[in-house]
Amino acid sequence: MSDLLTVRGLRLGFGKTEVVHGVDLQVLEGPYGLGVIGESGSGKTTIGRAVLRLHPALDGSITYRGCDVLTMTRVELSAYRREVQLVFQDGDGALDPRMSVQSAIAEPLAIHRTVARGERRDRVAALLAEVGLGSDLLARYPHELSGGERQRVVIARALALEPKLLVLDEPTSALDVTVQERVLQLIERLREHRSLGYILISHNLAVIDRLSESCVVLYQGAVVERGRTRDLLTTPLHPYTRALRAAVPELGVGRPPSTSRLTDGPPQTSSLLQPAGQGCSYADRCPLAVKMCRSQTPVLREVAGREIACHRAEDSLSL
Amino acid sequence: MKDLLNSEMMPAPTPDLQGEPRRRRPAAWPGWRVARRFPLLNIGMVLAALVILASLLAPWITPYPADAGAVIHPDLVLEAPSFAHWFGTDAVGRDIFTRVLFGGRVSIAIVVGVLLISAVIGLSIGLAAGFFGGWLDAVLMRVTDVFLAFPALLLAVALAAMLSASAVNAALAIAFTWWPWYARLARGQAASIRRQGYADAAIVLGAGRARLLIRHLLPNASTAVFVQMSLDAAGIILTAATLSYLGLGAQDPIPEWGLMVAQGQPLATTAWWVITFPGLAILVTAVAFNFIGDGLQNVFDPKRGRS
Repeated sequence: MSDLLTVRGLRLGFGKTEVVHGVDLQVLEGPYGLGVIGESGSGKTTIGRAVLRLHPALDGSITYRGCDVLTMTRVELSAYRREVQLVFQDGDGALDPRMSVQSAIAEPLAIHRTVARGERRDRVAALLAEVGLGSDLLARYPHELSGGERQRVVIARALALEPKLLVLDEPTSALDVTVQERVLQLIERLREHRSLGYILISHNLAVIDRLSESCVVLYQGAVVERGRTRDLLTTPLHPYTRALRAAVPELGVGRPPSTSRLTDGPPQTSSLLQPAGQGCSYADRCPLAVKMCRSQTPVLREVAGREIACHRAEDSLSL
Repeated sequence: MKDLLNSEMMPAPTPDLQGEPRRRRPAAWPGWRVARRFPLLNIGMVLAALVILASLLAPWITPYPADAGAVIHPDLVLEAPSFAHWFGTDAVGRDIFTRVLFGGRVSIAIVVGVLLISAVIGLSIGLAAGFFGGWLDAVLMRVTDVFLAFPALLLAVALAAMLSASAVNAALAIAFTWWPWYARLARGQAASIRRQGYADAAIVLGAGRARLLIRHLLPNASTAVFVQMSLDAAGIILTAATLSYLGLGAQDPIPEWGLMVAQGQPLATTAWWVITFPGLAILVTAVAFNFIGDGLQNVFDPKRGRS
């Protein structure tokens, strides 16, 4: 299988603060899902925005089907954005409060003139049906919709241009559990019907488990573990992945050893501002940290069929 | 005023003693419930409607339409209010009721003119500054700040004094001092809308700058501008009256309220009606538009109205 999207050494920042430190990602031709796991502030949303060129890259490369995304001209970028779409985190803010559902979903069709004016209404109704909504919603405005309906309208709008790749940024985190389930089913259905490739950004391991073939775990803007989703979630090796895994509430099932629990929140800004290259960024929270972890920055290496950035990966295996 | 609004909030329909749910009267028009929840808005709208209607219909409903112009009735000078002259007559014998009603047309024309000019200029400058940011924003906003640095009334007076005294020039002078407020408002709106998810969404969907500005920024910024316009109407009426009162606006025989007040001032002790009725007209109209502006602000900002 060939690559749909390849990200190499991507560095991103706000002003002078670098928040993403050289991330590699790979999405194969669909149907294929790449999960991106991380807590708030890990840079996952910014990566998603950078893929759509909504956020400038400091360094690195993004390649879509062999084309360099970062050097695209206006015209090329417009064509690229027809094939790659972003589904926003919060369906509420992603819809213009002054636009009806009909005009919102018809907007990309009108901009790119992919569908003749007279046929747009039918096309919009078909898109709504595809995400499981009735055409009675066409005249409604965002504030008249429920959270789940809004999220599905956002998905329908992203599908209007028949993209090959979707960036799904926390598609379910703002929704009730029952509504989440329906949106997840929708994504499952769409990936098969439309052969979609997608980057699924989430902090919800259950969502990642269900919808992605492979995944990366981000910690403070760097990949700490990468591999097949099944492997990572059943036998997490990096202490951070293990901690995330242990933080998932389960019903009557045993938990991994308590040494891997997250005991405190993410570090404060002061430690974020520490110069990179001064040891492992997770060392302060890590139950396995040794002297070397604070002096040498671990790099990604292959251990047990995955890539992991941890000096003590082998020790984790035996835990 | 907030307490008053709160006490007038409609309670949720509750079952009455018979246990039968109380029915809400079906609304004749969709705005009816809004109007009931915001009584001041309601009063303001009724008052403003009366003022506007009376001014528009002035030629047909006033007893002496000719008195709105340059006529003299030496036999009717300074008559006290009576059945023939409800508001009395002025120093040259013209019917004040007629002139007050016609005066509404002048005030409305000035308000509409000033609001249109300042909203168009202010929106263009403010949206451009907020949308493009950078040096354009800095330049446009510094220019705006220069205008805002002068007291508005003083600037309007100075400008009106430079131009020849007329209602049109008074309107231009007021608009000249008024647009910077709209520019500031629109800039803030544009800058905040620009950061909303739907602005990014539009870009990803392929929208160019023009589309983003016209289809997304303008409609979303317009609510705040619209509310501001209704709040400003009263201020413009007062400023226009002030300019004519100072002799810098409309000139006799134009029945402008501020001018009529100025003409009545020396007679205030001997013929109170000459100054009183145009003054009341200014008061009622200004209060009406203030109520509307305040009310609209509450309607469009539920947090403000309910907190």
